[in-house]
Amino acid sequence: MFSIRRWCLLALSVASLLCADAKSSTGDSVLVVVDPKNQDQYSTFFEGLKDGGYDLTFRSPKAEGPVVIEDDAPNFAHVILLAPEARNLGKDITPQSIVQLLSRKTNVIVALPTKQSPLHSLAAEFSLILPPPNTPLISYFPKRDTPSTLIPIKIEDHSSPALTKHIEPVWFSGIPASLGSNPLLVPILRAPSESFASETTVTSGSADAVADSVERGGEGLWAGSSLSLVTGFQATNGARITFVGGAEIFSDELAQKETERHRQSGNAAFSREVAAWTFQENLVLRIDKVEHHPVNATEPNEQYTNNDQVVFSTYISKWNPTKGKWEPYSGLKDLQLEFTMLDPFIRTSLPPVRGAPGKYSTSFRAPDRHGVFKFVVDYKRKGWTSLESSTTVPVVPPRHDGYPRFLSAAWPYYTGAISTSVAFFLFSTIWLAGEVNERKRSKGSKAE
Amino acid sequence: MPSLAYPVPTDLSPATVKNTASLFRIVTLALISGAAIASRLFSIINFESVIHEFDPWFNYRATRVLASKGFYEFWNWFDPTAWYPLGRVVGGTVYPGLMATSGVIYYLLQALNLPVDIRNICVLLAPGFSAFTAWATYMFTKEMKDESAGLLAAAFIGIAPGYISRSVAGSYDNEAIAIFLLMFTFYLWIKALKLGSALYGTIAAVFYFYMVAAWGGYVFITNMIPVHALVLIFMGRFSHRLYVAYCSWYAIGTLSSMQVPFVGFQPVSTSEHMGALGVFGLLQLVAFANLVRSHVSSQNFQKLLRIAVVAIGALGASAFVFLTYTGKIAPWTGRFYSLWDTGYAKKYIPIIASVSEHQPTAWPSFFMDLQMLMFLFPAGVILCFRELRDEHLFVIIYAVLSSYFAGVMVRLMLTLTPVVCVSAAIALSSLLDVYLNPVEPDEEQDAVAQPAKSGPADAAPSTASSKSTSSTRGIFGIDTRLVVVFNTLWMLSFFVFHCTYVTSTAYSSPSVVLASQGQDGSQHIIDDFREAYYWLRQNTEEDAVVMSWWDYGYQIAGMADRPTLVDNNTWNNTHIATVGKAMSSSEENAYPILRKHDVEYVLVIFGGLIGYSGDDINKFLWMVRIAQGVWPDEIQESNYFTPRGEYRVDENASKTMKESLMYKMSYYRFADLFGGNQAVDRVRNQHAPKNIELGLPRRGVHVRKLDRPYLPSQERGHARAGSEERERL
Repeated sequence: MFSIRRWCLLALSVASLLCADAKSSTGDSVLVVVDPKNQDQYSTFFEGLKDGGYDLTFRSPKAEGPVVIEDDAPNFAHVILLAPEARNLGKDITPQSIVQLLSRKTNVIVALPTKQSPLHSLAAEFSLILPPPNTPLISYFPKRDTPSTLIPIKIEDHSSPALTKHIEPVWFSGIPASLGSNPLLVPILRAPSESFASETTVTSGSADAVADSVERGGEGLWAGSSLSLVTGFQATNGARITFVGGAEIFSDELAQKETERHRQSGNAAFSREVAAWTFQENLVLRIDKVEHHPVNATEPNEQYTNNDQVVFSTYISKWNPTKGKWEPYSGLKDLQLEFTMLDPFIRTSLPPVRGAPGKYSTSFRAPDRHGVFKFVVDYKRKGWTSLESSTTVPVVPPRHDGYPRFLSAAWPYYTGAISTSVAFFLFSTIWLAGEVNERKRSKGSKAE
Repeated sequence: MPSLAYPVPTDLSPATVKNTASLFRIVTLALISGAAIASRLFSIINFESVIHEFDPWFNYRATRVLASKGFYEFWNWFDPTAWYPLGRVVGGTVYPGLMATSGVIYYLLQALNLPVDIRNICVLLAPGFSAFTAWATYMFTKEMKDESAGLLAAAFIGIAPGYISRSVAGSYDNEAIAIFLLMFTFYLWIKALKLGSALYGTIAAVFYFYMVAAWGGYVFITNMIPVHALVLIFMGRFSHRLYVAYCSWYAIGTLSSMQVPFVGFQPVSTSEHMGALGVFGLLQLVAFANLVRSHVSSQNFQKLLRIAVVAIGALGASAFVFLTYTGKIAPWTGRFYSLWDTGYAKKYIPIIASVSEHQPTAWPSFFMDLQMLMFLFPAGVILCFRELRDEHLFVIIYAVLSSYFAGVMVRLMLTLTPVVCVSAAIALSSLLDVYLNPVEPDEEQDAVAQPAKSGPADAAPSTASSKSTSSTRGIFGIDTRLVVVFNTLWMLSFFVFHCTYVTSTAYSSPSVVLASQGQDGSQHIIDDFREAYYWLRQNTEEDAVVMSWWDYGYQIAGMADRPTLVDNNTWNNTHIATVGKAMSSSEENAYPILRKHDVEYVLVIFGGLIGYSGDDINKFLWMVRIAQGVWPDEIQESNYFTPRGEYRVDENASKTMKESLMYKMSYYRFADLFGGNQAVDRVRNQHAPKNIELGLPRRGVHVRKLDRPYLPSQERGHARAGSEERERL
């Protein structure tokens, strides 16, 4: 009940968003923390966002306001921290407050500086392992006339779940990060396999230094395609944060720069895609409602009996950023349903129902075990909103009159009981009758 | 012509005497019932009409379901909030007699248009049934001796603290009605045995069924009656009266007891019930042998018959052993073993040992609960030996068995109390008979041999015609009589004072509401338990699972109405051990357990602030022990002691202790209350630790709700030591 009401509210808010022509599923207000001097460098990126319907508010790192969290509520739906070189991002923007923003479902894009800064410790909390300060990513391939720290990177289609379109190669300059084992991480842009992170001085930036560290067993070596340059992280409550290795990737300069001859770089499109994923435009799903009922019924039971046939359905919608509304989505092929009490007793696939968009349904037999069970839908895929739904329902043993009354296997016992009763009756009759006869006979004999 | 010690009126017709005596008896019984009920109302007067302790809360909750939804819904009631997420099939795991009784009373009063709240019926059920118990004891003792002994026994059982401890108003537990059923079933059995009546045997079986439906202690009857029958057979007292009484009781009683869902097929499949079945079989053999013997006269054949009976008996016994060995008959339960070896439970079943009412009884509690009855009791048993009729054997066996059990387990004091009252009444009544009898025996006559049967009522008319003068001195003189009689009266009145005192001070505390006395004698009511439960009720979602130690399960369910992981119906040791493990593990290890069980709140009782010794830190070692029983690799009791083997909570506490969830939750921000001074735990008289960090796990972004209602309570005085018998640990 409660969840349905909540979804109604959400639908209302979605309707109101429609009027504002917003494309994000969570809101259109964006706070951009950027040095006013550099603001013009990112105009392509900002214009792209504005075209998407976002409402940008700019704030200098030195300014006090507008504050991000006021009275325990976030003031903006999204925050972009594009001032990596600033020593301080403001009194109210600290690693702690960014975590608080996330827990209040605000999406954040963070551009990481090359120098040591508080943002490094923030990244560490999200299982990003950054190289030592001042060690940007370096690559000497392909041979080009740009500095070795400005690297063109090819993006394969479907290389990351967060990128939904084909994107031309992009220019990158900044630091890489090695990823921890946190399953909530979504790497968006991988480093080229021939790149590595190192200090930019002549001696250490050379190939010899790399060879040396390889000889030491890879210690201190930050190299290869396992490094991630742009990394997303989706918190358990759905909020998304993206760490970008360098702010330059958003810049106008790189957006206009050609990667190959007469071929403009994909930076603008890439930036837009990163923002689209982080601001919950793409790959956003939700469970509209779940329902369960016995087979051949429409209303849910308050409790099920052992071995009942139960039908479980769920309705899933996907956010359509172009139309700016939720649409039923039947595209999930690997959705599963678990019926658990401490451990899953039943785990079955929850296939989409043909002809009913967005509906996934399955039917199964309740286990022969009583207890408080949960219908659990737990769908976690990298890049996608995680779908979690848990509906509690007790499974009870049959009622006292719910058991079969006569069992064919019990016929020997029925026969025993009936035959004993009949025999007792016959015996009593014969006994009583015989007694009378005897007495009569004895009387008769006396009379004789 | 016997001489009289004092003059008795001579102009009364026997009918008048008889009628007056019977009127006196009725009035006395009514007064005894009134006293029995009144003395149990202290708890209502001192506190309020509230359900007490732990188990009664479940019974009360179940009764409410029964009253509101009817019997069939109650029978099929599956409680999803208990033992989350396992749930509890209440209808099949409960002795429904108590709830059914209250439900019937409730519906009856509703039908009479008396709108009485179900809670008040529950609160007052135990005092009401204590009046019935007094009556049943009167009937029982009357069969043993006579009416005067019966009245004494009724008065004793009415106010004996040993029985009051389980039947004060608000103590809504199975024992409340079970003791009445116990005594009444015994009375009916004696009656059936005396008369050889199938009717009384059947009525005994019906009340036995009621008893089975009401209390797990019915096993006492199930074994008591067969033992009596067996002893009678072995003493050569087999008779057709015994045969009829036993067979009608056993056949109907067993069949009807199997109708209780919780009992089911136990009467034919568990060891506890096999004695009754064996005696039943033996009786058939003996009866058959008797029948054959009366028809056949040959000496040799009779010898053969006797051998055959013994052989078949031995064969039956070995069949029983074989079936137990192969598992067809369930072996004895742990609770049963702990009756014979008091150390058994501590070694193998810590969950039984952790309940303080399963501990051996301390000597002073015998005198506290029974006072002078304690030393009259053996005298009564010896008096039973003097006549040794069949029913006297019953009292003797009952006395021996229940004395042993009462010594082993505190709670079985309850079954001892009736027989103590009966035999003490027999002893005291014999004494009074002798000293009140106005007839002076002749010199040659032995004073002791005075037949105990002739009470004063009978004696008066028989000696009405005598005109001999009464002597005022000497061994039969009025002075000797007065000394003894007044001494007895003084003892009786002192007994009443003792019972009243013990009842009002020790046994009338509801334990959910506590009282303390200030230094000026003023009374303070401490209601923290109920406040905490109502906090949960008002501030948490309806389906928020609360984890606490099992002691508080029923109360959380009853007062806070929230799902609990474990409760006082300790049927699943592993689940309890899981809670124990969560409490005694570090936060990192406890958190996955809490998540798995959907726990949202953890309730911890802490009494260190005002010295409430029954708090969770003091129970903590039992949690550790029970968890260790299931996970010996992860939890070890020795880790919770200091290297010197002490159980400490201050800075010297062991590392495991300091990291445990229970410890952290108990002392989290406790030092803040002392405003910078040294924090002191007043229960353990140790310095409390400072700066306890109760870390919230930050896996991604996630908020964990962990609450800890603060439950300080006051100090309990020594006067109330007896009431702590149900406190765990």
